[in-house]
Amino acid sequence: MGNFWAAVTAVVRKDLTIERHTGQSISVMVVFALAVVVTFNLALGGNLDAARNVSVGLLWATILLAGTLGLNRSFAAEQENNSFDALLMTPVDRSAIFLGKVISVSLLMFVLEAILIVVFTAFFNKPFYLPTAVLILVLGTIGYVAAGVLVTSMAMQTRARAVLVPVLLLPLTLPVVLSAASAMASILDTAVFIWDEVGFSISLVILFDVLMLAVGAVTYQFVVED
Amino acid sequence: MSLIKIEKLTKQYGLLPVLRGVDLDVGAGEFVTLVGPNGAGKTTLLRIVATLLKPSGGEVSVGGWPLPSHAQKVRRYLGLVSHYTMLYGDMTAEENLLYYARLYQLDAAEKRVTAVLKTVGLAARQYDFVRTFSRGMLQRLTIARATLHEPDVLLLDEPYTGLDQAAVALLDELLREQHGRGRTILMITHDLLHGLTTCDRVAILHRGKIAADLSTAVTDGTQFMATYKQITQGGAHG
Repeated sequence: MGNFWAAVTAVVRKDLTIERHTGQSISVMVVFALAVVVTFNLALGGNLDAARNVSVGLLWATILLAGTLGLNRSFAAEQENNSFDALLMTPVDRSAIFLGKVISVSLLMFVLEAILIVVFTAFFNKPFYLPTAVLILVLGTIGYVAAGVLVTSMAMQTRARAVLVPVLLLPLTLPVVLSAASAMASILDTAVFIWDEVGFSISLVILFDVLMLAVGAVTYQFVVED
Repeated sequence: MSLIKIEKLTKQYGLLPVLRGVDLDVGAGEFVTLVGPNGAGKTTLLRIVATLLKPSGGEVSVGGWPLPSHAQKVRRYLGLVSHYTMLYGDMTAEENLLYYARLYQLDAAEKRVTAVLKTVGLAARQYDFVRTFSRGMLQRLTIARATLHEPDVLLLDEPYTGLDQAAVALLDELLREQHGRGRTILMITHDLLHGLTTCDRVAILHRGKIAADLSTAVTDGTQFMATYKQITQGGAHG
């Protein structure tokens, strides 16, 4: 088990080291996300009520699209010099590689989301910083990234990776995104956490997370090996 | 004793057969070069031994462990050098090697990395980003990466591609040093005569089969070239 976690840590550390040196994934995701927010604000013509009504949906749409960019960047580094082959040649459990990738991409997404929380709170005058809202954001992101790592790893072996990732990932993650957005909207509207109102949606998000992490851990070797 | 044993190996991609019954033994400590024209199946064969591809039929074993069923055990004993560096350009030489040292769970990883970098003559560039390295330096660092965990078997896939004369000479020296340490080496190359001068045996892969397996101790360059031409141009089907 120690070997497993050492491998997970090695993969995470490597991805974060590359990001620390280049800042590419975060900068691309943040610029894209800010562009989306500003564009929507302009499109809504300063109508604050309309903007507030769609703000949670807009937040998740931004996260989904920026997330596909982050996933593509993370795997592009693996493909650049066929480094992924060297990783596959190490005596490391494939599920450790999967988990390492999920953790590293999730961490980058959390940084993006921290920035988005500040921006959305300022632009839409809604308490996106509420702990329960942040918790839903974190849970939804984990499920989305787990599905994303699986899909991107599959697509990596094809020439149409950039096209395939969003086409496969967005429909696959619809259940987790809809549930998370619905629970978040409910919490932000009332600014209180009522389990009866959001319990079902949050349970769906957790179920999706568990399912994606389990499916990924079990099937990753078949996804990345011949 | 054979360290790598390949029997009646076949591999096809969809309906396209690439390997059609390859038989090859590589003994412990032996340096075998595999040559052949484009499309002969050399890279496919090497990737199967490297546990990166699964065979369609036949048997492959490394150190007595059959593949692909015991791939996880075998991986610790394999190192792969290819014309791709398999390094991350946006990390330093030291960070790259430390990453692989952690994946192989090596003891005293930092000391090991420093020692290996010294061996390949890159100690002075330890903290430099890999993307700033020349092709020759990259290939030396690639050898450092592939031998960091002291593998028993070194697999080389066109290691001379893109190297200038000085880098080729340096690579030869590094390979001789690896061979001298008793490491088993299986190399594929397009450079026929170069392949012949560095190894113990040379095998010619043609149309998915081993068409000739010659000892370099009893075969000179002229004889070898004549055999190679006869096989690849004379329509020998192995």
